[in-house]
Amino acid sequence: MMQFTETLPSPPPLHQTTKPCQNFTPMNPNQTHRTRPWPGFPAPNKALGTFGDANCMEQLLVRCANAIESNDATLSQQILWVLNNIAPSDGDSNQRLTCGFLRALIARAAKTGTCKMLTAALSNSNITIQTHKFSIIELASFVDLTPWHRFGFTAANAAILEAIDGYSTVHIIDLSLTHCMQIPTLIDAMAGKLSDGPPLVKLTIAGATEDVPPMLDLSYDELGVKLVNFARSRNIILEFNVIPSTSLDGFSSLIEHLKIQTLVHGHETHEALIINCHMMLHYIPEETTTTTPFSFEDSTPRALFLKQIRSLNPTLVVLVDEDADFTSNNLVCRLRSAFNYLWIPYDIVDTFLPKGSKQRQWYEADICWKIENVIAQEGSHRIERLEPRGRWVQRMRNTGFRGVGFGEDIVGEVKGMLDEHAAGWGLKKEEDDLVLTWKGHNVVFATAWVPT
Amino acid sequence: MTTELENSSAVNGSTVSGDASLSSAGNHTAPPPDKPVKRKRNLAGMPDPDAEVIALSPKTLMATNRFVCEICNKGFQRDQNLQLHRRGHNLPWKLKQRTSKEIRKRVYVCPEPSCVHHDPKRALGDLTGIKKHFCRKHGEKKWKCDQCSKKYAVQSDWKAHLKICGTREYKCDCGTLFSRRDSFITHRAFCDALAVETAKHPPEDEPTKEDEEPSPLLIESAPQSTSTASPPSPPTPLPLPPPPPQPAAAPALPVTSSVLCVAKTPDLPEIAKMNQDSIPVLDGPPQVVTGLTRSCNASSTNTGSTSSSVFASLFASSTASKSFQAQPQTSGFKDFIQTMSQPTQTPNLTLPSSVQEPVSLCLSTSQGTSIFRTAGQDLRQYAPPPQPTMSATALLQKAAQMGASASGASLLRGYGLERDDADVGASIGLGLGVGYDGRSGLQELMMGTPSVYGPKHATLDFLGLGMAVGGGTTNGLSALMTSIGGNLDVTPSFGHGGSGEFPGKDIGPQ
Repeated sequence: MMQFTETLPSPPPLHQTTKPCQNFTPMNPNQTHRTRPWPGFPAPNKALGTFGDANCMEQLLVRCANAIESNDATLSQQILWVLNNIAPSDGDSNQRLTCGFLRALIARAAKTGTCKMLTAALSNSNITIQTHKFSIIELASFVDLTPWHRFGFTAANAAILEAIDGYSTVHIIDLSLTHCMQIPTLIDAMAGKLSDGPPLVKLTIAGATEDVPPMLDLSYDELGVKLVNFARSRNIILEFNVIPSTSLDGFSSLIEHLKIQTLVHGHETHEALIINCHMMLHYIPEETTTTTPFSFEDSTPRALFLKQIRSLNPTLVVLVDEDADFTSNNLVCRLRSAFNYLWIPYDIVDTFLPKGSKQRQWYEADICWKIENVIAQEGSHRIERLEPRGRWVQRMRNTGFRGVGFGEDIVGEVKGMLDEHAAGWGLKKEEDDLVLTWKGHNVVFATAWVPT
Repeated sequence: MTTELENSSAVNGSTVSGDASLSSAGNHTAPPPDKPVKRKRNLAGMPDPDAEVIALSPKTLMATNRFVCEICNKGFQRDQNLQLHRRGHNLPWKLKQRTSKEIRKRVYVCPEPSCVHHDPKRALGDLTGIKKHFCRKHGEKKWKCDQCSKKYAVQSDWKAHLKICGTREYKCDCGTLFSRRDSFITHRAFCDALAVETAKHPPEDEPTKEDEEPSPLLIESAPQSTSTASPPSPPTPLPLPPPPPQPAAAPALPVTSSVLCVAKTPDLPEIAKMNQDSIPVLDGPPQVVTGLTRSCNASSTNTGSTSSSVFASLFASSTASKSFQAQPQTSGFKDFIQTMSQPTQTPNLTLPSSVQEPVSLCLSTSQGTSIFRTAGQDLRQYAPPPQPTMSATALLQKAAQMGASASGASLLRGYGLERDDADVGASIGLGLGVGYDGRSGLQELMMGTPSVYGPKHATLDFLGLGMAVGGGTTNGLSALMTSIGGNLDVTPSFGHGGSGEFPGKDIGPQ
């Protein structure tokens, strides 16, 4: 079970109130003799305080989800009411987490028509979460705040660097959620390592059409200009290429493009082909996406995509993603799974961003977006389809890849990076793979693959 | 890169300083072959093969006071020091005499078997060195810098870092400072300062500059420091340095320096500033929301009253439309409960209600004022003229929008507030249970079982718990709470319609 106790030493007063509440501390049994506004009143905080418990919140959310699914407007509204009272959006991490789910459930109820009144109110308004459009500089510092992305960057960069040793040309397909934020450090590392002559780096990215946070308010063309310019300052020639494609069909146009390139230029043995997948593949639809099952197990876009990249015979495939399972078609299962994973970003935010800061708002809005997508959306609109490491490993093996693992040097490098962050971060090895942990719970995994 | 390494190690290793300058001068060709110590810096510990190899257990290694004085129990790291100390007690003491045999050099191996320095061939030359090595590489990093969160295993390292923390940073030409190289690189790549700079300076020599990591402050900012302050100049025309020979890169070159650069730095003070900035941002409708919340919080002394949110008014209004068996209110918690469950004579929530006892739980002191009105009085801008003509749907819509735009306040809170604000006739059916027992309202509310849910028998068993119903109120929700919370203080007799008073007697005159 989740260890929320670390962040919840005692159930806090529900709303962050001021003086009256400080005089009135029913939490502490030793103070029962102190004068309180209402002597003898049965310490309501104590009773309600148990709601602050994450388990309780999860149960309430589950009940509410069940009520919504069974179209019980009365019950769902009752629970929504309770939840609304125990989970202020500016509360502690569990309360904010619950608040995110609460909003998502309301959005879902509005969609499914469960709560007619809410539906009426909400359908005409935009309760969409206000996700922030980052400037490129903002995004760079944002991604840099925690190891959430840096972990994958560091591990992947180190693995890529090893793999391209001896190649004069490197073709990197960067399928990354973070808009090439990984590339500068990779280029920099290449510049430091590759000694013989300026190497040629081709960078191909998918101009994804979906708006998935973190969103960037810079076109990929402008981004490319910056990267090319930066690479030149490091004495590396960079070719930047954007292929408009979407995760919804497994980046088929990108794959198509790559195949044609191979046909035209032939298979260049001196070109290393690196496919870097950073928290992107889980947007590709998988088996549970449609109600009508795919005719063949491997004809889902996700399986197909892996097959296609296998056929490109890449030098290395790095797959980094969040280690959770959001694929269930059962709302309650998904809710539980998401609740038991997404507490982590809420928990860690306290360690590096002050309350009320703008960055924190951006950060939490992005999590809310994710929750909303997992809970309120269905079908092809529900694109946050995380799969745990084990299932990805199985997929990769089935497609004809072999895990290559990460050497001790890479592990050391990642550990060094983690040392720059809060104490709760950890690293563990599962089989060949690296797993980033927060307080012992899996957060992100990194795997490296070569064709068998 | 390699040449530099060799260069520096040559300087370190050689005893004659003249050699150093010689070697660095002739470095690129052939260094004198007879150089005695020609080794890479990262291969620490290549001791004299004749040296005596000492292997200490981690415990002994880390022991700070192995040699203890039997008189005063003072501990010493070295026997020699203890002997000197014994002199003070007038005890017999003996300093070891250096014999020619003992001049033999000692080297120390790391106790960690997986460590390269566990191998005697890579042993380290002095005890302090191996101690620090063991701490740094295999020990717990318990010294943390509060400023940058870097952690150290050796206290002296930490102290040394404290002195320079914040000074040894990577600085971009745009003025932003970074404590980590990765952060700097990523920022650097996207910052417009780079575009400006590369347009001015040929890039050839940069990589070599980059290699000198130990003095990062100088990276790229040294020659053109004057250009830092100037905003990105208009699109720099590019007679760009030609070094890249491949024509492929040429088309992509145009460096358009956009104006993004004035960077949001991730520095802590900056964040703090943002923090402050963001607080007063709320104005207009959102302020109303927070205002209400604040006033509720300030005046309420328990959590139950926090339900001044949406649902409070939602329920209230639905109640108003349905329950006309208004009973005289006896509960002291008039305002709140009233809004919650007791429409009494008037469906208009903000009109004075018929409550006789003005006992309020600090919620609002003036009789006949609902909690919402209180809030309205506190905040002038809160009370716009009621607009009775507005349709309920339109209001809801507006409310929802407000809720969505109110930062910090939950959607629902904003929603409910606005709903009340407009004094809507409250005829929207929520399909909710109708509260009719005003007396028990508070208690139940406090316990999380608002009586508004009571009569809805359809929901009695909604948890499959099969709770018995008594007194006209259901325990449905409380059962839920109990089942969840486990230790809820709900007693069967609590919260039933029969009892009209609070356990706390002095809540108000009954």
